[in-house]
Amino acid sequence: MNAPCIKLRRDDGWTFIEATISIVIMAIMVLGLTIVLLAFREQLDRSWAVRVMDQYGNDVIEQLTHELRNATDVEVRGSVGNTKAIDIEYLDPIRHDLFRTSRWRADLRNVRITRGNNDLVDPTFPPSRLGAGESYEIVQFTLAPYAEDSPNQWERQDRNRRKQSFLDAAYDIRFKLRYNRNSTEIGGRNWTVEKEYFNRVYVRNMNLIVKKGITD
Amino acid sequence: MKCLNRKWRDDAGGIDFIQVVVGLMIVAIAAVGTFQALAYGNDKMNQQMRYRKAMSIARSYVEYWQGRIHTDFDPTDARTRAGNLNQRVDPTELDLGDPTTDADDVMCFVQYGSLDPIDLVETGLGVDYWVINVKVTWYEPDQPGYTEPQSVVFRGTMVSAGL
Repeated sequence: MNAPCIKLRRDDGWTFIEATISIVIMAIMVLGLTIVLLAFREQLDRSWAVRVMDQYGNDVIEQLTHELRNATDVEVRGSVGNTKAIDIEYLDPIRHDLFRTSRWRADLRNVRITRGNNDLVDPTFPPSRLGAGESYEIVQFTLAPYAEDSPNQWERQDRNRRKQSFLDAAYDIRFKLRYNRNSTEIGGRNWTVEKEYFNRVYVRNMNLIVKKGITD
Repeated sequence: MKCLNRKWRDDAGGIDFIQVVVGLMIVAIAAVGTFQALAYGNDKMNQQMRYRKAMSIARSYVEYWQGRIHTDFDPTDARTRAGNLNQRVDPTELDLGDPTTDADDVMCFVQYGSLDPIDLVETGLGVDYWVINVKVTWYEPDQPGYTEPQSVVFRGTMVSAGL
């Protein structure tokens, strides 16, 4: 017990061993913390990028679903890449003798979905200040009849059993986004995440009298 | 104890080795705690994302049944009306996770309950509308406290086109 007491009392300086061990421990800790902080920052950046992508994907899906629920007719045409131009006809909310059309399409160059008169679904996407090596891509933006492009086998079989009136009004929205995080260092690893946003919508008005022009 | 008290009193010479080690240990423990909290937050956000996706899947399935009831439904078909809550169904992808491997995929099961007709007697129309209940069930990836299956139930109604 005597030795530790002397050691603790003696506060007139450090021995060489103490100083060396302290420096080694602190160096290891600083190095470890730096590595962990950099890794954590990378993780946060990735997580944030995916959340931003989720937000945009869900925004597009929800707003398109909303328009389709109120649509009286839908026309789907081919467009660039794996995307479609979607013309949605809907009844004017004020004048019931007037139909309007809203066109949805993917702008692959600027990575955004536009509707109507080139209005943006969300002007904050993609983020304006992406880091080096970061980019977003629109991989797919399609509206297909029920189960036509479904990966689910049961749905594809079910499609053959459905009436035409149902098939004419049921649509699958598929919006696929990809986030690329390419390494800016030689030999670094690239990281990519791709997510599909999906909704099925039944265009009710296609089987109601509003489709026949009887609106009042 | 006596020598320790003296130690705290006689601290005019600055910090010593023991203090440095204790300080580093405190920093290390605080750092571990902070990172654990952040990792926990990240897991919670992923759970919320899966929950939202499950809601979206359930809603899409309700939408399917709304379309069926509206235009493509035989009310006398007891098998269809009974639902498939007690049957085995094919899994549906809920969370792809790392796209390079299937090992971390989270799958869900989408089922629907019995399709129930509602007759509001005062309307005199017979069946006024149908009630649809869709249940999506999944297991969270290996995490403490999540051994039980998670589920969401989405409820919708629809009238038949004849009305």
